[in-house]
Amino acid sequence: MIGARPAARLVELRLLIWVAALTLAGYVAVVAAASGRFAWYEIAVPVAVLAVFGALHVFLVSVGFRGDQLLLPIAVGLTGIGFILVERLAPNLLLQQLSWLVIAAGAFCITILVPRDLTVLARYKYTWALLGVLLLVSPLLPVIGREINGARIWVGIAGVAQFEPWELVKIALVIFFAAYLEEYREVLSTPPRRFGPIPVPPIPYLLPIVGMWTVAMLVMVFEKDLGATLLFFGIFLAMLYLATGEPVYTLLGLVMLIGGGFVAYHAFGHVAARIDVWLAPFDSELRFDEAYQLTQGLFSLANGGVLGAGLGNGMPERIPVVWSDFVFDAFTEEVGFAGALALLGLYLVFVYRGMLVALRAPTTFLQLLAGGLSFIVAFQTLVIVGGNAKLIPLTGITLPFVAYGGSSLVTNFMLCGLLLRVSDITARVRR
Amino acid sequence: MTERTLARNIRRLTLTIAIAFLIASIGVGYWTVVAASDLNADPFNPRLIAAVRDRPRGKIVDSSGRVLAESAKIGDAYRRRYPDRSLAQVVGYASFKYGASGVEGAYQESLIGQDPSDLLGQWKARYLGEHGVPGSVVLGLDPKVQLAAATALGGRRGAIVALDPKTGRILASVSVPSYDANALVDPAQQDVAWQQLNDAKDKPLINRVAQGLYPPGSTMKIITAAAALENGFDPNQKIRVDDPYQADRSWGDYYVRSSSGAHGDYDMSLAFQRSENIYFAKVGLTIGAQKLALMAQKFGIGHAPALDLPAAKGQLSNNGQLDRPTLLADTSYGQGELLTSPLQMAMVAATVANHGVQVQPHYATEIRDGSGGILRTIGGGAPDQIISPATAATLTGYLVQAVEAPGAFAFGAKIAGVHVAGKTGTAETPSGSPHGWFVGFAPAEDPQVAVAVIIENAGQGGVDAAPLGGAVMRAVLGK
Amino acid sequence: MEITFAVLLWGVRIVFLVLLYLFLIRAFRALHRALSDERVAITAREVGIAALVVTKSHAGGPRVGARLPLRAVSSVGRDAGNDVVLHDEAASAKHAIVSFADGEWWLEDAGSTNGTLLNGSRIWDKERLHYGDELAVGRIALRLERAQ
Repeated sequence: MIGARPAARLVELRLLIWVAALTLAGYVAVVAAASGRFAWYEIAVPVAVLAVFGALHVFLVSVGFRGDQLLLPIAVGLTGIGFILVERLAPNLLLQQLSWLVIAAGAFCITILVPRDLTVLARYKYTWALLGVLLLVSPLLPVIGREINGARIWVGIAGVAQFEPWELVKIALVIFFAAYLEEYREVLSTPPRRFGPIPVPPIPYLLPIVGMWTVAMLVMVFEKDLGATLLFFGIFLAMLYLATGEPVYTLLGLVMLIGGGFVAYHAFGHVAARIDVWLAPFDSELRFDEAYQLTQGLFSLANGGVLGAGLGNGMPERIPVVWSDFVFDAFTEEVGFAGALALLGLYLVFVYRGMLVALRAPTTFLQLLAGGLSFIVAFQTLVIVGGNAKLIPLTGITLPFVAYGGSSLVTNFMLCGLLLRVSDITARVRR
Repeated sequence: MTERTLARNIRRLTLTIAIAFLIASIGVGYWTVVAASDLNADPFNPRLIAAVRDRPRGKIVDSSGRVLAESAKIGDAYRRRYPDRSLAQVVGYASFKYGASGVEGAYQESLIGQDPSDLLGQWKARYLGEHGVPGSVVLGLDPKVQLAAATALGGRRGAIVALDPKTGRILASVSVPSYDANALVDPAQQDVAWQQLNDAKDKPLINRVAQGLYPPGSTMKIITAAAALENGFDPNQKIRVDDPYQADRSWGDYYVRSSSGAHGDYDMSLAFQRSENIYFAKVGLTIGAQKLALMAQKFGIGHAPALDLPAAKGQLSNNGQLDRPTLLADTSYGQGELLTSPLQMAMVAATVANHGVQVQPHYATEIRDGSGGILRTIGGGAPDQIISPATAATLTGYLVQAVEAPGAFAFGAKIAGVHVAGKTGTAETPSGSPHGWFVGFAPAEDPQVAVAVIIENAGQGGVDAAPLGGAVMRAVLGK
Repeated sequence: MEITFAVLLWGVRIVFLVLLYLFLIRAFRALHRALSDERVAITAREVGIAALVVTKSHAGGPRVGARLPLRAVSSVGRDAGNDVVLHDEAASAKHAIVSFADGEWWLEDAGSTNGTLLNGSRIWDKERLHYGDELAVGRIALRLERAQ
């Protein structure tokens, strides 16, 4: 699909210059605030980060890529903010994150070049489903499965490296859903009978909903990960809606999810604990115990005010595991409500643009694929920001591109790469 | 056709996402802007405490200048030292890990040199990291009265509070059991100490004076009498008392009992001396639920006093109404579902003492800046005429009788050469022996002090509490 | 901390926030520009990029002369989920793929039982399609034509 001749990408380049300025300014502020001085050699790290961003642009230009020019700058802009926050909150993890960025960039390039034809992905849909399920259960296996912070969602070798397979599952599942729903959407969206306002599709087509729900509940029970459950089911419901346009399915799914959650609340301690913390974090029994993280996060938000305490001048480090779970609160504390709005604005632009890619994509499969991928970014952002701001119970979902973490960075870059591929196909068809 | 519906679905999903982003933004705005001032001043917020880890916090002193909290350098960090254990709940603690409580929490900003009255200092601290010299907080506590109160209560669980009825300044405040706040600021002991204090059944961290809630027992009769007098009830009218009492058969097998098994005619004066439940039950039923509830509310039952430290609000009844005759009767003599704090009852006594004018209580009296100059003084809010001076005078007469008349229950509060006004109370508890109450003030003609004493599970109820009130008032009057 | 340093630091902090907003505004503008192209894209797809015209059919199959619009990548087969649905027992559920890439049309068999014929000969690989070419799926013949 890639054209042989290089093609200039001027919009992308201009936006990347803003990203560079933004990343440097933030990084300088954080370093200067931490040490009370600033030496020029300290910009080595952000320059290395920006070099990787630049390399991605050069790569796209050199392979004659014709896809979207807005998604990549926003993704790397958010990643740049992520690096500022890693330097601010956990400088000892900075080099590790930098090496993950290089891997993520590699994964991005591979996604752009291979597979040659995206439609091929649809043909192996059950392979993706199987892969997804395998990845999903892999943390439960002995030897490689690992439980960290009470959630069994990791695989890895002790002391070497850990990976959250869940992150990759997201993409596998979106591909599978897109292919599956493309095949069956006619049957799903034109039910033979209506029962009042409720469409009644043939039983075999209800099975996938029930099946997905079952898998989601199993994840919640055995891997003790509320976030994965929510994300997993959320993606499914959103894509089901995209394919069928029937809000009834979504409502049905939500009812099932809340029902399952209600049962889980009473049956499983880890679910009940999360909900209790959410309902009353300042409770005297909880505030120094399970709710400590959330209350510290809220203090952090409050300290932010409208314009923030200034980069490097807040106290977000009081929040336990702030660099992965609470980056949003940390960012808001230091740049204020104003900065938080800008950050949310960037996510919204990314998602909106992703949805435009979906709208313009030439086939149903590609439309569903792009819609699902964009939805992942929106949903993750909303769930973690909502959790950080006590709008919904806190989950272990990460803020896309910004939060520290190798698995999520690699996956998010692959996600971005896939969206770009879809837009590239669109651009070529419309020539 | 299908493309169109798919495009429509994508648009609708995008719109939903945009709305969700809007909601999330509002949520973030709530915490960063709307709720920010509350959270920033929250005593558990570690920011204000940590801001002075490498600098001393200001001192907390009592009215004589005696130090109640100060910072000492240990290693390379400053740590607080708390010399007076009897004031642990009032002075509180400032822990790097567990936040701050008491005066340490309530006047946190002043103690680190960012008093709210000093806007420039606050701005400098926030944006430039420049801190002013920490100020100090002066409390109204009088060391002799405090010592007398702590000694009088001894090891018995309960609380004593003494305040100046004219200004609301708190002179003494004791809550037992207490704790050693030094353990909470010592990194080596803090976790164990924190766990123990939170798990302890008898709740040593609670300031029983303002946060402990008890049925007021017979001390409530002051409010019932005030409601009656203010509504034209004739206190000299004789009311027949026959134990046990019920208004009519609808009460079933429920009766109001007289503690003395009384049979006879009572007027208000005699009823106060003997603390006659049936008399006050009949008074309450005569004036009605609405007037009694209104008077209780005026005296502050059901809403927290405007204290400068956390205070409980108490309740008139579980649902705030007196909607059953038996509940009205029980409430009139201080049982039913009533709950009040010792501070609230001390304020009742203070209001009667102060000719019916209620003042708001306060622990701190002054905030001083780093060089000792007065930044601001702390007063007790606007005074409020709750009952007429005439009613207050009549009540004072009865309360003096309740201490001085032959056979009066509150005889233990007598002070030689001074007329003392007071009322005992015995609050029935579901478990254990009843709580003993005493509320009073002295001298009756020109009150200098109002006091409330509660002894949890006292052997004989109010009779045990009265001498403690007497001891505290003696300390104030220098007798 | 020296006061000039503190002021400089605040300068950088404010610059960061300003850049954040400028970046957002630029991104937003780019977003808006793309929106106007979008309407064109939708209309283009409704017309179809090209069409397959039925030249030979049978009872129960598509009417001869019917124009079946194509998209950039269209699946052809018996199943209802295909972009081009052909009711014919000899066609496989998913029979062939017609796609548009690099300015050309391509035909590819999707693993059908009876194979796909291009101008009379069975194809084994992805083959180039020209306007006017005849393809056969089961008992149905189709001709590639430009969109009208």
